Amino acid sequence: MTAAVTNERLRAMKSAVHPSPTISSNISIADSTLSDMLHAMTPAGADDADLYVQYSESESLALEEGRVKHVSSSTHQGIGARVIKGEASGHAYTDSLEPSALMDAARAARSIAAESGSRAPVAVHATEKRHALYLPQNPAAAAPMPERKALLERLDGFARKLDPRVKQVFANVSSSFSDIRIVRMDGAELHDVRPLVRLNISVVVEQDGRRETGSAGGGGRFGLERMLVGEEPERLAREAVRLALLNLDAIAAPAGPMPVVLGPGWPGILLHEAIGHGLEGDFNRKGTSAFAGRIGQQVAARGVTVVDDGTISERRGSLNVDDEGTPTERTVLIEDGILTGYLQDRQNARLMGMQPTGNGRRESYAHPVLPRMTNTFMLAGSDSPDDILASLKHGIYAVNFGGGQVDITSGKFVFTTSEAYLVENGKIKAPVKGATLIGDGPSVLTRVSMIGNDLELDPGVGTCGKDGQSVPVGVGLPTLRIDEMIIGGSEA
Amino acid sequence: MSDLKDISAQLVELAGKAGAHSADALSIADTSDSIRVRHGRIESVEHEDSRGIGLRAFVEKQGTNGKELAFASASTSDVSASGLTRLVEQVMAMAQISEADPDAVPPLGAEHPDAIQLADWQKRHACTEPAWQIDAAKDAALACEAAALEHSSLISNSEGAESGFGRVRVAYASSDGFAASYEKTSAALSVSVIAGKDDGMQRDYDWDRQLTGIALRQPEDIGREAAERTLRRLGASGMSSGSMPVIFEPRVTTSIIGHLTSAANGRAVLQQRSFLGESVGQAIFPDFITITDDPDHPQGLGNRLFDGEGSRCKRLQLIEKGRLTAFLTDRYAAGRLKTIPGGHARRGLTGDIGIGCSNLILQPGKLTQEALLRDIGNGLLICELIGFGVNGVTGDYSRGASGFLVEDGKITRPVQEITIAGNLKDMFQHVRHVGSDLTWFGSMAVPSIAIDGLTVAGQG
Repeated sequence: MTAAVTNERLRAMKSAVHPSPTISSNISIADSTLSDMLHAMTPAGADDADLYVQYSESESLALEEGRVKHVSSSTHQGIGARVIKGEASGHAYTDSLEPSALMDAARAARSIAAESGSRAPVAVHATEKRHALYLPQNPAAAAPMPERKALLERLDGFARKLDPRVKQVFANVSSSFSDIRIVRMDGAELHDVRPLVRLNISVVVEQDGRRETGSAGGGGRFGLERMLVGEEPERLAREAVRLALLNLDAIAAPAGPMPVVLGPGWPGILLHEAIGHGLEGDFNRKGTSAFAGRIGQQVAARGVTVVDDGTISERRGSLNVDDEGTPTERTVLIEDGILTGYLQDRQNARLMGMQPTGNGRRESYAHPVLPRMTNTFMLAGSDSPDDILASLKHGIYAVNFGGGQVDITSGKFVFTTSEAYLVENGKIKAPVKGATLIGDGPSVLTRVSMIGNDLELDPGVGTCGKDGQSVPVGVGLPTLRIDEMIIGGSEA
Repeated sequence: MSDLKDISAQLVELAGKAGAHSADALSIADTSDSIRVRHGRIESVEHEDSRGIGLRAFVEKQGTNGKELAFASASTSDVSASGLTRLVEQVMAMAQISEADPDAVPPLGAEHPDAIQLADWQKRHACTEPAWQIDAAKDAALACEAAALEHSSLISNSEGAESGFGRVRVAYASSDGFAASYEKTSAALSVSVIAGKDDGMQRDYDWDRQLTGIALRQPEDIGREAAERTLRRLGASGMSSGSMPVIFEPRVTTSIIGHLTSAANGRAVLQQRSFLGESVGQAIFPDFITITDDPDHPQGLGNRLFDGEGSRCKRLQLIEKGRLTAFLTDRYAAGRLKTIPGGHARRGLTGDIGIGCSNLILQPGKLTQEALLRDIGNGLLICELIGFGVNGVTGDYSRGASGFLVEDGKITRPVQEITIAGNLKDMFQHVRHVGSDLTWFGSMAVPSIAIDGLTVAGQG
């Protein structure tokens, strides 16, 4: 199993045109129908069962060659029915809300159980959520499409004026919300409406026949109108142009082991790949992770504390409840270098005799639940970022990254730089071309020798892929020195 | 079957009534089943039924040089009458906001397949039988995993075996009166096992994917292959850095061919985002490389009679004796690049039209993998690549890798925690040999390839 995170814009986005002012019940299915489904699908001996009712809308506007000529939306709805017994689970997904299709789905989900008896019927009853981390809204409601179009046009003009070498500008604004009802085996129902917005800009620059690209983006779980005002869009455009121009001067990266200083924020994908995936409950229950059975062992240098926190207000990776209705938490994965916890959904937690941590997630009603990360980051240390960079005699200072990936079983992971510099005697010498850094998850953090006091979270651009499912995530990191990693440049 | 086609045509008609200059609609209905087993017991069963429809509508606007066209697209899973009405309203409202493009190509007058071609395709590709049966799929998954686990006592754990099958129905209709649909089936079987323990654990896998369950390789063969692959990775360690020839196994050659098609994408070329932007007609590979896009192959999972714009798909020799013959185009890219539309429009329900191939076949050479190893003498055999270190604008390439060290023409030991780097333009030019071991991966068939002069980064 390999798993990956990228900062490409959402691929599996669903979408909307008409603002839905009040989002209380986008799907009208009677409680009695849900109750009938639960009754039909749940054998007496089931450990767990649930229904996941989802309605989602999304909208996207994209600018290319100075024109907003790609405008699209989508509206999707469906139900996932799930039954769990021991290590086995049965799933059925349908986007038809016809009663006969729903009952067929209920029976299909039940097919893992041979027994004929059913649990007693339960009444569906609404349950309060613990968190209110974002507004239950269509995030596009207060930002009409013409305003979004004007924003993209403004960015295009702004980026082109920054430098005559800018040849192409691509800008995209997307928004979505997902209206979810989770009905558990006991009839308890949790309702969550999850907004998500994203603004992205990328440019192509050209000089003396050499072309390079740079991009920047941001977003989170808040109203799109907030992205239309203020200086943030211009800041993103400036950042994209800066990165592209920087790459025009980039030299080939070195090849081989070297000390590395990572900048704050998005370079936290190091943690996502090196640590996070390997601590997901499914891999550890099955013993397929390089971290299996290592709780209580030292897996990082003293001073390293890593958490997964789904409870940060308006962050891209945050959720009020996970996709099983469990409230999200702040889970300490590594405390002062010692491995302390796993990320759990309900099934894996039950089988391991642990508590669920609010990390059971699914891309949509049409996907199974898996233990997944939310926002994963390292707590700040006490070193000043300047001192950390100054400590680097000969190495790489990597500030920005593309995506990363990990082999869960061998623990080997990669992430690829998009802004990095060769450093000599504490001074930046030259920008280097994108290079993949490779390391070993269970040991890489033992080589951490300095931790910055400047923890930053990423700008809201992460999408994590596992088993073919994409979910939005966040990462974060303070400036960090790792005494050795292998740099995969082309300069041997 | 006909209902999807009718719904698509009906939607196009509704868009016309709502004032669209022209429109086209794509409908997809999917039914799939899968079963996963682990350590001989059922771990999960999944069943999915889904359908959706996507509409693209063009409207006329006054542009700088007279009337120009703008378009918008939307999709929904609600195919009821009210759902379709709402979809048309949404698309028309968005098309008013969308900017006109003087080069826009409306869905009129494409080179569609004719009735005879449709009938012939239907006859040759009709899939009246289900792709597989759930009980047979379950037995295959169990047999596959058992063969892997029993292969050696060193196989210590399993990630499970999974079998699945499905049927997808695709229908397309456009304003010029073309409406057609087709069905496709597929079946797949995969297994992944682990050898060793603690720090020394390794996993590998094998899989097959075909049009039907019957066509799949024997479950036991897939299981044994996964076990063999896992075992030979045991004891993997690092290696020192250097420049050397590298052999890509067929399963990783697929990614190199993927980078080629991304760069040959006509839209990426127009956007100045391709390192092959000026390369049509040029020799980008040595002359023994020939790559064909074949939309009508008996084994191909990428078979298609028409593309996402209803254009008839044709066989294309993308690379002919090393030369890039054409960019991959939809009608828009073809218009801008002043070439004949290639029938490469790829379309999902939502969003803009993309570009993609049908079945890509890299013509095999004469050397077996053993002969390739002897030929390179000292270098690396790559079996797995991870990460996203490929820059489509520059061709710069740097990815994590694992495989085997090759010394004096023989595999000597497994290696991991290394990267390989170079530039795709150079890598294409420096292909040294193509192997004889042509292997199908769904919609791509490739052999091993050997490339000179990649930079390997490892310990020291």
